[in-house]
Amino acid sequence: MKYGVAQQRDWNALADQDFRALVQEEFETHHPLHLRFPPRRLRWHENKSWFLRMAAKGWIAPGWPLEFGGMGLAPSKLLIFLEEQERCGIARFQDHGILMVGPVLIRYGTDAQRRRYLPPILACEEIWCQGYSEPNAGSDLASLRTEARLDGDDFVINGQKIWTTLVQDASHMIILARTDKQAKKQEGISFLMLDLASPGITIRPIRDIAGHDEFCEVFFDNARTPASNLVGGLNKGWTLAKAQLGFERIHIGSPKLPEYGLQVLLSVARARGMLQDPLFRDRLARVQLDVVHLGDIYTHFAAIVARGEPLGPEVSLLKIWATETFQRIADLIIETAGDCGGHAGPVNLDGADIELLAPFYKARPATIYGGSNEIQRNVIARQVLNLPG
Amino acid sequence: MTDDTLRMLRDSAADFAKLDAARVRRMRGIRPGFDRSVWLEMAGMGWLGVLIPEMHGGSGLGMGAASIVAEQLGRALYPEPYSASAVLATLTLLHGDSPDLKQDILPQLAAGKLVAGLAWQDEHGGLDVAQCGVRASDRDGRLVLEGTSRFVATPDADAFIVSARGARGLELHWVGRDAEGLSCTLEARADGSASARLSFDQVSSSAETRVATGASAETALCLAIDHAVVAASAELLGIMDCALSMTLEYLRTRVQFGKPIGSFQALQHRAVDMYIQKELSRAVLGAAVAALDDPQCTPERRAAAASSAKARASHAALAICAEAVQMHGALGFTDEYDLGLYLNRALVLSAWLGNASVHRSRYAALMEMA
Repeated sequence: MKYGVAQQRDWNALADQDFRALVQEEFETHHPLHLRFPPRRLRWHENKSWFLRMAAKGWIAPGWPLEFGGMGLAPSKLLIFLEEQERCGIARFQDHGILMVGPVLIRYGTDAQRRRYLPPILACEEIWCQGYSEPNAGSDLASLRTEARLDGDDFVINGQKIWTTLVQDASHMIILARTDKQAKKQEGISFLMLDLASPGITIRPIRDIAGHDEFCEVFFDNARTPASNLVGGLNKGWTLAKAQLGFERIHIGSPKLPEYGLQVLLSVARARGMLQDPLFRDRLARVQLDVVHLGDIYTHFAAIVARGEPLGPEVSLLKIWATETFQRIADLIIETAGDCGGHAGPVNLDGADIELLAPFYKARPATIYGGSNEIQRNVIARQVLNLPG
Repeated sequence: MTDDTLRMLRDSAADFAKLDAARVRRMRGIRPGFDRSVWLEMAGMGWLGVLIPEMHGGSGLGMGAASIVAEQLGRALYPEPYSASAVLATLTLLHGDSPDLKQDILPQLAAGKLVAGLAWQDEHGGLDVAQCGVRASDRDGRLVLEGTSRFVATPDADAFIVSARGARGLELHWVGRDAEGLSCTLEARADGSASARLSFDQVSSSAETRVATGASAETALCLAIDHAVVAASAELLGIMDCALSMTLEYLRTRVQFGKPIGSFQALQHRAVDMYIQKELSRAVLGAAVAALDDPQCTPERRAAAASSAKARASHAALAICAEAVQMHGALGFTDEYDLGLYLNRALVLSAWLGNASVHRSRYAALMEMA
C-alpha cells in the first residue's frame, strides 16, 4: 500500500543550508502572519488551513519514513525542519497523531492497523490526543488505574484520564490502561487506541489559570474499543510508551520558548525606559546569557541526534534549564512591567500591544509536563550522577 | 587539526597532570610560586607551544589544544602560569609587530627557557586595554616607562610585556625583570599564589624592545586577553568538574541516619543543579573555542564568545565549589581536605581577567553594538 503524498524530491540529498533555505521559504511565504507566535495554543478551527496545506504538500509528517507517507528526513534534516518551524512561530496543533501514534504504529503496529490509521493521520482527517495521566497517576504514571477488560472482541474501559490536551479537537485517543491488576505495576499496562465517538466517553474541559480550556478530563464508563486496537501486545504498553520518549526530550529543551520570552522582555523594557538602568541591564544580560548557553548545550545534544546516536539520560538537563530559564524570564517580564504586571490580555505599553502575562502562563506548565523537573532531576541524580536510591 | 590529535593530547595531558596535593600545598606562599623543572617538562610535552606557529618553534595547534591543556592543568591545580604566560603573554608577543622579537623570543617561550608575563592593567583593573597605568615618554632622547601596573599573574616571570600609553597611542614594551627602576610588590591571592604590582621608575626601553605600537598593540592585546579568558574558563571547568566529582563520591559514601546522604532528594537535586552548571560551562567553552579557532571570526564575535564562556565558568565554578563545601559539612572547610584547594583556585581564576558580572556586562555591550 502507498501512504500519503509522494515527495517532490529526496530531501536528504540536499545540503543542510539548501534544505533550510527551502523550508524557510515555504514557511515564510505561506504561513499566515496572524497565526505566528500565538499567546495561547490555537484550536484546530483556527490553524487547520495551514496544516491541511502541509498535509496536501506531503510535509505533515517530516519525521516519518518515506514508505509510510512521511518526508523521510534524516535526524539532522528533521532538526532543521523543526527549528525553522519554531523560528517562524508556527504553533503546534493537536499533533499526537504525527508525533506519537504514527511512529508507534510504524514500529509496533500490525499491517492492518497501519492501513487503517496512518492515511487519515496524514490527511489530518483524524486527530489524536494522548491519555496518560490520571488523578492519582501523575509523576508516578505507572500506578495508573484506568482499566481495560477483554470482553469478546472488545476491550471494555472504565476509569478516568486527566490533563489530556485539546481533546475538544480530537477524534481519537491513545490511552495507557491497566490490563493485569496482579502483575507488577509497570507490567500490567497496555497501549490502546479508541474512537472518541464511542458510547460511554464523557469529556469535560478544565479551565486553566490563564483562562483557557486547553486540557480536559475524560471519563470512561464501559466504553468499548475493538481488541484489534491493542498496539504492541497485551501488557506491553509501558515499554512501548517509554520507547517513544526519544526525540521529544530534545524538542522540549529547544531555546525557542525562552527566546520568545526575551523578545517580550525587551519590548517591555524598552517601553518602560529600563534599558539604560544598570541594575536592569545586569539582570537582562544574565538571562540573555542563560538563553545563549541553552543554545550552546542544545547544539551539543542536537549534534548527537543528527549523528543518529541515542540520547542518554543526561538530556534531562536540557528540559530543566530551558524551562526554568523561561520562567526566570517570564518573572522578569512581570517585574519590569511594574504597575501593569497584573494586567490581563494585551497591554498597551508605549504604543505597542504586548501580551505581558502570556510568557508567564506558558512557563508554568512547562516545568510540569513531559516529566516534571523534579522527576528529571531524579533521573539525572540516579542515572547520570549514580547517587544512591 | 584532527579530533585524534586532540584526543591524544587530552589523554597525555590527563596522564601527566595528576593532582599532587602535597606539592600544591608546598608551593603556597613561596617564591618562585612555581617549579621551573615542571615548566620545562610542560614544554617537553609541547604544551607551551600549542599557540606558537611552527616557524617559531611551536606546533600552532590552536585554542582547541590550549583549552584541553588548561582544563587538565585546572584539574591538577598546577601552580605553573600556563594561561598567564603560555597564552596571555605569548599571544601578545606573537600578534605584535616586531619580527625580530618574535624570531628571538617565541622559540625560547615554546622551549620553556624563558617565562614571560603581561602587565597591562592599572590600579583599578577591568578589561579596557586603554586603561593602563604606565606612561611611555621621551626623556632627553631616551624612552622611559613610568607608572604602575597591577594584577600581574606572573610575579616570577623572567620578563614582562608592559602596556604603556605613549605619544603614538598604546605601546607594548619587552622589559626584563632585572631592569633598572623596576620594582615589584606582591599581593597574596586566595590560593597561596601572588599577583604582582609592578612599579616603573624611569625604566629605559627602546624601539628594539617595542613589541607593538598603536592599533597593532591594541589588536594584539585584545586578542591575547580573549584567548586567556577562554583558557581561564577551561581551567575553571577542570576545577569545577573535580570539585563536583569529589562531592558526588562523598554523597555516595558518607552515611548519616543509617543511609548514604546522597540518597536524600534535597541533596540529589542540588547535586543535579551543580552538574547542570558544569555541563553548561563545558558547552559554552566548546562554542568559544570554536569561535576563536575560526579564521573568519571578527574581533567582536571573539570577545563576545570569550565573555560568554567566562561569565558562565566564573559563576559556575564558584557556585559549585561553595555548594561542595556545604555538602561536605565541616570537613569541607578544613585545609587538610583537598576540596578547599579547588575552591581557593576557583576564587582566584573567577576574579582574574574579569569576573562573571564584568563579562556579562561586556557581552551585553558587544551585543548592543552588533
